[in-house]
Amino acid sequence: MTTSGKDPVLTSFEAVAGQEFDVVIVGSGVSGAVIAKQLGARGCRVLVLEAGSGNDITVADYEESVQRFYGAQGKDNNSAYAKSRNAPMPRDYETRKLQPGQPNADGYLVQMGPLEIDSTYTRVLGGTTRHWEGKALRMLPDDFRMRSLFGQGRDWPLAYGDLDAHYRAAERELGVAGDVEDQQYGGLDFGPGYVLPMRKMPLSYLDRMIARDLDGMEVTLSGETFPLKVRSTPQARNGVPNPAYDEGRGYKPVGAVSTHQEDKGERCQGNTNCVPICPVQAKYDARRTLYAALETGNVQLLAWSVASRLEVDGVTGQVSQLEFKTYDDPDAPGHRVGHVRAKVFVLAANAVENARLMLASDLPGSSNLVGRNLMDHMYLLTWALMPRPAGALRGPICTAGIEDIRTGAYRRHHAAVRYSIHNDGWGWATGSPYSDLEHLVEHENRFGAPLRQGLIDRVSRQFLMDCMIEVLPDESNRVSVDPRWVDQMGNPRPVISFGATPYTLETAAFSRRLSRRIFQRLGAEDHTHYDPLAPGYVSHDGEGYVLRGGNHWAGTHIMGTSARDSVVDSTQRSWDHPNLYLAGAGSMASIGTANTTLTLAALCFRTADAILAGLGTHAPASTTTGARA
Amino acid sequence: MADMLDGFLALSEALTGFTGQRLRGTGQAEAYLATATGIVGEGVMRDLLLAAAEARASSGGDTEKHEAELRRLVMSDDRLGPVARNIIRMWYVGSWYQLPKPWREAHGQSPRDHDHVVSPISYTEGLLWPAIGANPAGAKPAGYGMWAMPPRIAPG
Amino acid sequence: MSLTKITDKAGLHRHLEAAIQLEHATIPPYLNALYSIRPGANTEAFHILRAVAVEEMLHLTLAANILNAVGGTPDLTVPGFVPLYPAYLPDGETDFQVDCQAFSRAAIETFLKIERPAEGATPGVDTIHKGRKRAHHNGHKRHGTAVRARHVPGHEEEHFYSIGEFYQAIEEGLERLHAEMGDALFSGDPARQIGPEYYYSAGGGLMAVTDLASAKAAIRLISEQGEGVTDNIFDYEGEIAHYYRFEQLLLGRYYQKGDARGRPTGREVAVDWDAVFPIKANARLSDFPEGSALRQGAEDFNRAYGDFLALLTRAFQGEPAMFVEAVGGMFQLKELYYQIMRQPLGDGTHAAPTYEISHG
Repeated sequence: MTTSGKDPVLTSFEAVAGQEFDVVIVGSGVSGAVIAKQLGARGCRVLVLEAGSGNDITVADYEESVQRFYGAQGKDNNSAYAKSRNAPMPRDYETRKLQPGQPNADGYLVQMGPLEIDSTYTRVLGGTTRHWEGKALRMLPDDFRMRSLFGQGRDWPLAYGDLDAHYRAAERELGVAGDVEDQQYGGLDFGPGYVLPMRKMPLSYLDRMIARDLDGMEVTLSGETFPLKVRSTPQARNGVPNPAYDEGRGYKPVGAVSTHQEDKGERCQGNTNCVPICPVQAKYDARRTLYAALETGNVQLLAWSVASRLEVDGVTGQVSQLEFKTYDDPDAPGHRVGHVRAKVFVLAANAVENARLMLASDLPGSSNLVGRNLMDHMYLLTWALMPRPAGALRGPICTAGIEDIRTGAYRRHHAAVRYSIHNDGWGWATGSPYSDLEHLVEHENRFGAPLRQGLIDRVSRQFLMDCMIEVLPDESNRVSVDPRWVDQMGNPRPVISFGATPYTLETAAFSRRLSRRIFQRLGAEDHTHYDPLAPGYVSHDGEGYVLRGGNHWAGTHIMGTSARDSVVDSTQRSWDHPNLYLAGAGSMASIGTANTTLTLAALCFRTADAILAGLGTHAPASTTTGARA
Repeated sequence: MADMLDGFLALSEALTGFTGQRLRGTGQAEAYLATATGIVGEGVMRDLLLAAAEARASSGGDTEKHEAELRRLVMSDDRLGPVARNIIRMWYVGSWYQLPKPWREAHGQSPRDHDHVVSPISYTEGLLWPAIGANPAGAKPAGYGMWAMPPRIAPG
Repeated sequence: MSLTKITDKAGLHRHLEAAIQLEHATIPPYLNALYSIRPGANTEAFHILRAVAVEEMLHLTLAANILNAVGGTPDLTVPGFVPLYPAYLPDGETDFQVDCQAFSRAAIETFLKIERPAEGATPGVDTIHKGRKRAHHNGHKRHGTAVRARHVPGHEEEHFYSIGEFYQAIEEGLERLHAEMGDALFSGDPARQIGPEYYYSAGGGLMAVTDLASAKAAIRLISEQGEGVTDNIFDYEGEIAHYYRFEQLLLGRYYQKGDARGRPTGREVAVDWDAVFPIKANARLSDFPEGSALRQGAEDFNRAYGDFLALLTRAFQGEPAMFVEAVGGMFQLKELYYQIMRQPLGDGTHAAPTYEISHG
């Protein structure tokens, strides 16, 4: 992506320890990268700390991750990334069914339950955008007014309209491919004449097959009737630039991150591997933004360094310095402890790690809400076989979904939901296609041509529909720390307490019923079943369901209108510590039915403006910083 | 072991339903033969290839007869069947899976007999995906927009 | 290929047909070298070669766009369109032949000749005309197959030292004819243009050609991405020219901005010249025993390659949407390359595609 041909400079412990910067940012994921880029472009001296490896910039480094994925027997969503004992990360396979009163401390997360949550995040350069799928839906206007409209959850201290320009900036930065015409539902408004940077990803053969029979099917909820329609899903993936973008100036896709021009990056090729790693870097990951930040010449990156404690002036509440631990070997014990000072500190390490660091620093907040209101989407999976081969296991993981009931009066009673059509078969639910091969070889005793035919019948016809269900902020769902559980470096590990409420479960039940109707309409053979022994198994009204995590951790430094009832203000600034910003999905007061990344990126553009204003640097309107940067 | 390669490929054709050209084209035949032989021992492998050769010879080119003979001589054999099924698994997804417990107790343990991907390339050469006109996740993409078209499920 | 100075539209068409043939003629050698790299090895070399090959596809498409714009009909299925390697380039560069061979120093040295800058290029001097004035009217003996010529008797043959100079001649021809005919020169159906939405790399670059300005822009892009018309390592968009991309492999180091030619100062490029399938150079079907599975595989490849060219031809002859499928065809071909190249022939070499294409 770069044109300078210059190597980026990773800074060192020696160069940084004891120094002062304008701004220190913890975390090189999308939140930290956006803020670093915006501040660096305006001349601020910025240090970004990354807990994971810094050897992750070149195409060769990237290829190593791809090879690691190929060679991994278990291909979980972090399988492409280097593990480190000094900066451990959660793995979904560590989740197991909990017995009451017995936490699961086998992995990095300590799970208290009652619901086991198999969400993860990635502690590497670029953060969890390395393994994110790339769906880039906006939240709906209603999502920002949950309490006012539906008497549930919380209102945000800002409205959808306040974020519109930042959404645009985020859509440019992430490179969103989508058609605004397909996003006309639920009060979603992009403003007159707006188009996304790139055209929508072509709908898959499966999407088209489903749309043909499904479009026009009606669903009634709380007396309101919704006609369903298969719609393209906006996603941060390189496709065909829209020449109408930016008032006809068009859009130039940003390709692979590289210090040299080995490869300029690609349009999506249909590798069907957005999670955990797109082998051609067609999918946005935050290294793109981070690299642009480094190229400003004002941003330094210190990798292999875990932020361990914020130190606060007892009188002013200002953060005085940040303690961090730098390690040389990813796994061997041993590290050096350093401190940095700054005018402004930004925690951008994700909702779990931000809360963990605050709590490890004995900063639960005057509201005592740090770590509380933990949210994530709950996914109910439903799956079936189409009547004939549908071309499963091709294309981006999802190219279309059903969005029509993302909001409505029913939200007074139960949670909002959207549905994605999966091009990657039943893998998420059943371990397909490996489980299918196992079945055909071990149980059906097939080999040779009948085995091949069996795979065609059993795999190519697969259709999985995920039901992405909203979760409300609830103070009892939380991240905490406990001296009993620390990692190798001595940093406390995140302790997760999480449960599903009837508000969420009622939508799981509704969605299962709806999936039956959909399969009936498509003539698809319903194979959905929920194993009572699986983690995430819950009962509701006598029926059992398995809920899976969405890796959309949010709410742990929730945004509000006062220090009494929230942790940060509408610019993500800490109420208690005026020179501290807690950035990312942790600030979100609701998560609606949108993957959190686009919204948190938008919030970070807003935050960058606020930081610049606070530093006395002229903060351009975000429409210019974001949209024209 | 080189003398076993042709026999291994002939058996693999019958087990996978792919042609020898297609199997050789993956470049994995030697690695799979070595992996399997290294774990089950040369004696078992030679017996397996002999049984497969006998099944081929006695079927005189009749596909149905060949399959029946393979079932009789190989697939239902306590010692050879599990190994043959593991050879299918390697060709289809590039991984070796631990042999069943009864097999290990009866015929021997190997420190390498655990679930593992034979090599990063072997995963990408898995035949499960071409069998259904798809690509292994993360490799061998069909190109932009090709997912909008019907799957090309081809013989061979 | 005999070409004479462009004096009429037919001559322009002939040059553009040769340009398409020329762009295509580089693709089999580049792809043979690219896919002879063992999968997973030599990733930096792989990416350098791949980026160039993808851009040759871009150049081919741009040349087709220009030909379509001036009322010609691109056809990649005419007999002889695909040369038998070793082959001379179709622009009349007669001092070297191009082999289809494995990734090696020799292959890269040939690629440097393909992408070489105009002869005698010196900083700040427009060398095109200098180069052309001393274009060869030579008596070099030709070996291997020459690309099918459309000989026009009675005119002095043009031979070019570099691809850049060849395109310069086309550009001059376009200007000359445009001066005579005006916009009537661009009589082609704009619906035949392959627009930017079809090009594959995030770098962009494909443009519809509808007038002199866009035709010249297309030529400029081809020239600058290739060898660089001037001595610049990086073009005006900061992109490094093919010539210098390849040179990085021989010199073992990346160029950075500000470097002098031949003296890159960037990070080391690790090249493992041995992590390569030792494919037979300029293989022929006759190298594979009749009736063997491999022979069948090689014939299947040639059929698939012919299908790919036929798809491209359809895309260029009024069905631009077929371009998506044609590019998909390249992805399918990639797998066939590997399936052939992985197979030893028993003489120390491995099999390779033969490009003996017949259109039925």
